[in-house]
Amino acid sequence: MMSVGFIGAGQLAHALVKGFTAAGVIAANRITASSPDTDLPTVSGLQKMGVNFTTSNKEATHKSDVLFLAVKPHIIPFVLDEIGPDIEDRHLIVSCAAGVTISSIEKKLLQYRAAPKVMRCMTNTPVVVREGATVYATGSHAEVEDGKLLEQLMASVGFCTEVEEDLIDAVTGLSGSGPAYAFTALDALADGGVKMGLPRRLAVRLGAQALLGAAKMLLDSEQHPGQLKDNVCSPGGATIHALHFLESGGFRSLLINAVEASCIRTRELQFLADQEKISPAAIKKTTLDKVLQQPGVSSTSDATKSSVNLFNNRTGVKK
Amino acid sequence: RCLCCVTVKMSVGFIGAGQLAHALVKGFTAAGVIATHRITASSPDTDLPTVIGLRKMGAYFTTSNKETVNKSDVLFLAVKPHIIPFVLDEIGPDIEDRHLIVSCAAGVTISSIEKKLLQYRPAPKVIRCMTNTPVVVREGATVYATGSHAEVEDGKLLEQLMGSVGYCTEVEEDLIDAVTGLSGSGPAYAFLAVDALADGGVKMGLPRRLAVRLGAQALLGAAKMLLESEQHPGQLKDNVASPGGATIHALHVMESGGFRSLLINAVEASCIRTRELQHLADQEKISPAAIKKTTLDKVLQQPGATAAGVGVRTGLNLFNSSTSKHKKN
Repeated sequence: MMSVGFIGAGQLAHALVKGFTAAGVIAANRITASSPDTDLPTVSGLQKMGVNFTTSNKEATHKSDVLFLAVKPHIIPFVLDEIGPDIEDRHLIVSCAAGVTISSIEKKLLQYRAAPKVMRCMTNTPVVVREGATVYATGSHAEVEDGKLLEQLMASVGFCTEVEEDLIDAVTGLSGSGPAYAFTALDALADGGVKMGLPRRLAVRLGAQALLGAAKMLLDSEQHPGQLKDNVCSPGGATIHALHFLESGGFRSLLINAVEASCIRTRELQFLADQEKISPAAIKKTTLDKVLQQPGVSSTSDATKSSVNLFNNRTGVKK
Repeated sequence: RCLCCVTVKMSVGFIGAGQLAHALVKGFTAAGVIATHRITASSPDTDLPTVIGLRKMGAYFTTSNKETVNKSDVLFLAVKPHIIPFVLDEIGPDIEDRHLIVSCAAGVTISSIEKKLLQYRPAPKVIRCMTNTPVVVREGATVYATGSHAEVEDGKLLEQLMGSVGYCTEVEEDLIDAVTGLSGSGPAYAFLAVDALADGGVKMGLPRRLAVRLGAQALLGAAKMLLESEQHPGQLKDNVASPGGATIHALHVMESGGFRSLLINAVEASCIRTRELQHLADQEKISPAAIKKTTLDKVLQQPGATAAGVGVRTGLNLFNSSTSKHKKN
């Protein structure tokens, strides 16, 4: 009976908790989520689901066996410094942060433990309706069973598979950002329907249903998407006329561009994190103060004040 | 959609044994809404790949459209729009009071069908529907409009059938062409999108199978989120786009290329073409060139079919055919 914790109580933590509890893969009272910011709209959602919410990241660490890092990438170094001393042998650290490498996390945690068990995953928000897309890679100290455990959790909320770590940035561009491409498409399709006379609600409904059905057909079929497209295009019909417009406008190319841009930006963020000092400007003073007020947090373990390269921090406390 | 209590006891027939008939039969049988032995499908063309599929599912296949009519209560017209007039002339004499005619043909109006059938019966029950191929995995999108002689129960019966294979709602008939442009053609836009997304994934290093899988899963998940949420798609998009992050960078390149506009264009183009096809059908003679000689011969070989009943040889405007003969009382 393991416990799951979330450092971070924002969109991702909320979506994962909603999915996990709907799937019944873990009870809400075995879940803890933490954030210094109690004003996030997702905090009340998490509390309503029966999750233990705390402002102390250390408390979330103590109460968990599997610990998801569900904060934005630039916050990861702060968090690792804060909870590093509290990591035990049992902990499995699962980072969901785009562009943050396993080796950068292990490097930081090795200051505190000899063999920190780290996994990196890239998921997406449809975990909230149990139709997520997740990939993960395993760090050098994590065991095969740790991977299986994560897969069990994430498979309860959608598709989940292990990949080589160097594919994760591409996955971010495709299925990490993918839902946003779909929401944009659905808004536009509905506009098209409304232009041709449909009421808005019906247009949104039909557009979303058409995408959902088509995606399901593709997932359930051995056929190439091009073949499925051909099957829908009767000679001289309405659909092939529509497709010509899409092709003329470079529709396909825009989507390739999108995947590429998201992937490139992910790699850029990773590069920035690896190379630059994290300046005090990257975090709000009020947030920092809230963190420092938590029991057990000392200002010497908080590297912002000395503003050194956090991933090469030598001032952390070695256990 | 648990259907243990709502099995349809009537017999269902399909004029046409192509993609649409196959998809609907596959969906209906998976849903358990009707027993396969109550399904008949017909086509003069036995070479269609879908014919084998229909037989394998346990539907009864015949080359005689008249036989399908005789064996059915609910009769789907699942042929291409330009074939509808031929079919109506062929089966018109065999329509009985019990028959509910459901046309799935894009751009073919209820009034054009009723006009033809009124030569054979005083009150033909006609419903027009527009569905889409994901009925095959029970995630279709269907709308329907009811003709003047169809009852409320007929609409409810159709809704029961089509609701078993996806979303189904009644609409005013004048919205159906727009629905064709949106959810009728919509799956094709999605297949194109997944192909392109997968290309993007492969460009950035993913193996093809994984890229297709992730792309399709991302679209499916997002669509499901929207269907289950009260929120605006723009709000859901905002929720995914973190400040300075990867997603908002991607969205910018899409907007720069006029991504949204292309989709509006597509819906519009499909809708306009649908209206065009309807206009052509209403206005022009159906020439002998629109149907293969071999197909026509096969039809004429069926028991009961006469050359006078199939108006193509006289080259008349089939929707205003005054040469049809068999007015029933």
